[in-house]
Amino acid sequence: MLETLFPTLSRVRFVVQLAMLFLTVYGSVVVGTYAADKITGALPALSCAYDQANGAYCVLVPTQHQVHHRIGMAMVQAQQLTTQMVLPLLMVLLTFFAFFFVIGKAFCGWVCPLGTLQEWVGKIGRRFGFGVRRFEKGDLGEVKRIRPVKWVVLLGFVFLLPLLTGLGVTPHSLGNPYCDICPSRIATTLLTGNTEELALRINDGWKFGLGATANVLIGFMLVGGLALRLPFCRICPLLAFNSVFQRLSPMRLSKPTRASCGSCHICTDACPMDIPEISSAEGRKAYNEDCTLCGRCVEYCPQDKVIELKWGPLALFGSSRAYYKAKVARELPDGTVKPLKFVRNAAKPATADA
Amino acid sequence: MRTLIVMTSFALSCAADLALAQHNHGAPAAGTRPADAAPAPGGRPGGGRPSGMREWTRQPLLLGRPVKDDRAAALITARGLTAGGITVYAADGPAEARKREFAIDAEGARIEAVAPKTGNYHWVLAREESPELVKVASTAWYFGNPGDGPTDMLATPKHELEIVPSPLPREHRSYREAEKWKFLVRYHGQALAGQALAMETEFGSRTQAVTDANGIATLVFPRDFKQPPKGDGESEDPRARGRFVLVTEKEDGGKRYLTAFNYSYTQDPERSRSLGWGAAFGILGMVAATPLLRRRQQAQGDKDHA
Ligand code: SF4
Ligand code: SF4
Ligand code: SF4
Repeated sequence: MLETLFPTLSRVRFVVQLAMLFLTVYGSVVVGTYAADKITGALPALSCAYDQANGAYCVLVPTQHQVHHRIGMAMVQAQQLTTQMVLPLLMVLLTFFAFFFVIGKAFCGWVCPLGTLQEWVGKIGRRFGFGVRRFEKGDLGEVKRIRPVKWVVLLGFVFLLPLLTGLGVTPHSLGNPYCDICPSRIATTLLTGNTEELALRINDGWKFGLGATANVLIGFMLVGGLALRLPFCRICPLLAFNSVFQRLSPMRLSKPTRASCGSCHICTDACPMDIPEISSAEGRKAYNEDCTLCGRCVEYCPQDKVIELKWGPLALFGSSRAYYKAKVARELPDGTVKPLKFVRNAAKPATADA
Repeated sequence: MRTLIVMTSFALSCAADLALAQHNHGAPAAGTRPADAAPAPGGRPGGGRPSGMREWTRQPLLLGRPVKDDRAAALITARGLTAGGITVYAADGPAEARKREFAIDAEGARIEAVAPKTGNYHWVLAREESPELVKVASTAWYFGNPGDGPTDMLATPKHELEIVPSPLPREHRSYREAEKWKFLVRYHGQALAGQALAMETEFGSRTQAVTDANGIATLVFPRDFKQPPKGDGESEDPRARGRFVLVTEKEDGGKRYLTAFNYSYTQDPERSRSLGWGAAFGILGMVAATPLLRRRQQAQGDKDHA
């Protein structure tokens, strides 16, 4: 019965993502109207606090807030940094970690509403026959080149600018600069039928500029996402934030040394984050900072038990040849499925046909 | 696969348990807000305006202002009714502290959050009673600290004729111009159908709504906000607040009941935002992404089939 309803890991994930999208975007109908009733104020996923109907807040809001007000501003008054000032930020991290410990980076691959939306845009792209673009040599360049960007966004926009603003160095409008450029703010509020966040502030130059950046990002994500998988995740500060803690959660991707790995690279082809290490490396290195624990590489590894999704010692899902065969018959590793009929007719004969 | 499904359910229920646990301890983030998403949470019935304001209504009002350097206290003054004290209801904290009385002196009544670490919304009311008339002024005050949401506190009947916001604005929001909000009118704890609820705003608007079968009146906040006068070089404050009061009246057994609820509202954010510019930059992003779509399947398809 369970196997009929959930024949593949992707199906389980799709259902979980759907439920989580509902909870993170419209969850107030379940958990109650007031922010104090929310599931948490420090979720390891971009569940946006600007969305008035949501079920939880993302951790980046209180982080920016604490760095700006409790650390920056308090340092100006006290002329020093005391434990008292850092305590609220530590509380935020503790709350975050209480959640993160349970499923680790699967918050990205299974819970984050923005990740889900990007994935669905990608699915539409595949249906319409847009070829997948990749961060690899010969296409968009090596993935290593884009990896530092998310760290710059995290350190610059979530920590440094709010701190400098608290210290009075940068203008007040730069107090929560990451929220101002965050595409999830626009995506989730639009999903509740609210266009306020899409509209730009016109009475403040900084806010206008940052807001415009968010709008460019969401526009880029919606169109670029048709060809490039998870375009925003690649520069997402929360991916960097989560990856700092990724080894501290029992939930992980495991690829111990196995002779049967023929380095066929199919797992990398299947990986929406274009992670080459999952095929080329093993052990600790195979579980990369960019991994969202989506599990696609496990589904597409044609060798028995070479890659596994594990929670502590417990193997939740492992690769197998039989599973791979069934899976690849439905969908190619890069997500290509049978394009829609009219797309097929219009396309050249060489178009992939799954 | 079965292990995975079972584990998924397990993980989700763990997350839910944890959620409850951390909620009970008061999430630190509850006191935070996306800075600038909205002004400081609604609990500024005083609206941050000078106290020597002109009279804009004859209805009873409770006006409050924060106490400097004490986030867990506020100063409340009553207008348009004579009351000896202020009653404060909290949503959280020990049972005996859920309802407290505070005396009014020359300055007003200094009210406090139920405990220094338990804030959120508190319900504030003052009462004047004579054999013919019961007059009640009510408002809500938000203390920034974490604490339970006000759902149960609002649901508990507190006196004869009540106006109950359904709901109060969330912590990062406020009542705003041009928005529709619902208010329940209750009499002895029962929803009152067909009851008139009048609204007056500081900027001179007057409007009225009648409650439906469930006792709910839906009011549209008038688009009447006027920014306070600016000093030289000062820019417009998008967080400025205006006041409004809702009033309802009822006769029963030869006695008249008049109840008012006053609070603050802010200007329509669209006044300082441009959807046109927003859409323009969104489209710019889309255009910038189109080169990614150009290379079609060919090379890729060959590779995938390899
Ligand atoms: S704008 Fe982005 S970072 Fe800020 S609360 Fe919303 S999702 Fe989180
Ligand atoms: S990396 Fe992607 S999935 Fe993870 S938090 Fe960022 S947007 Fe969401
Ligand atoms: S490495 Fe595997 S689990 Fe991680 S993002 Fe890539 S496909 Fe998903």
